[in-house]
Amino acid sequence: MNTKKTSRSFISHRLSYIALRTTGLLLAVLALGHFLITHIVNDVAATDSSFVISRWSSTIWVVWDVLLLTSALIHAFAGLAVVVHDYSKNQKSRVWTLRLLSIFVMSLLIIGLLVMAVSLYRIYGTGA
Amino acid sequence: MTTIQIAFLLLLSFSFIVILGFIYKVWKVALFADGGPNPSFSRLAKLGRLPAERVEISRWAAYFHRVSGFAIFAFLSLHIIDISTIAFSHGAYDSLHAIYSTWPMRLFECGLLFALVFHTLNGIRLIIVDAFDVGVRKSNIFLRVLLIFSIITTLGGSFVILQPVFN
Repeated sequence: MNTKKTSRSFISHRLSYIALRTTGLLLAVLALGHFLITHIVNDVAATDSSFVISRWSSTIWVVWDVLLLTSALIHAFAGLAVVVHDYSKNQKSRVWTLRLLSIFVMSLLIIGLLVMAVSLYRIYGTGA
Repeated sequence: MTTIQIAFLLLLSFSFIVILGFIYKVWKVALFADGGPNPSFSRLAKLGRLPAERVEISRWAAYFHRVSGFAIFAFLSLHIIDISTIAFSHGAYDSLHAIYSTWPMRLFECGLLFALVFHTLNGIRLIIVDAFDVGVRKSNIFLRVLLIFSIITTLGGSFVILQPVFN
């Protein structure tokens, strides 16, 4: 057995364990807070485009949503990596599933961040 | 019904199918790996045990943690994609967003609330179990308390979410 490879996989397991717990604690506030604001405090019918744009006009909500997006996707990837580890039949299928999953999660992150960037440009960047 | 609304509903139905497939997978592996293929009388007899003696409740919690996490991720993917329409046109976003305030979608949001609250609290329980010397008995009491708490929170939240349907 290749000891170098084994120790590297142990380190990545350790990192993913810590990432899963840290982002989980962050999400306990960020995700539940997001749901509370968009469904309980405000009715969901009121959260239209003007609501989103007015919220993204304040820095705290931009930071909130970027943190929520990134930590949710890191949490989802780390959690699903455990599931893939449990359910995949062999090493090859495990590697391929994780590769496809990381592409999917990365593209969601890029879409999310791009949408934020475009909206922020519309709010601040026009100079009007 | 605009095209974008139909596309959203198609993606939503697709996520439901994927979630059902995932539940089937968890179910199948659980039957195979966690205690035999068929429900039996001895398993039914376990139900007669005192709540504090029932250790396998934490295994059910693990299954539901996995399924709720997957379902939340499926919805999150859809949600990121549907929010992204706001970068193209506000009209498209608003027509899509109108679906969120229909009654079937509001019911779905109540289910989402339960999944979110249970997944959060059970995750905190798992961190506590890892970080401190808790023991099986206390850990199971936490589990029962958080289960009751999430049901109560969901009922309260559902009352608020579904309020406009009855008015």
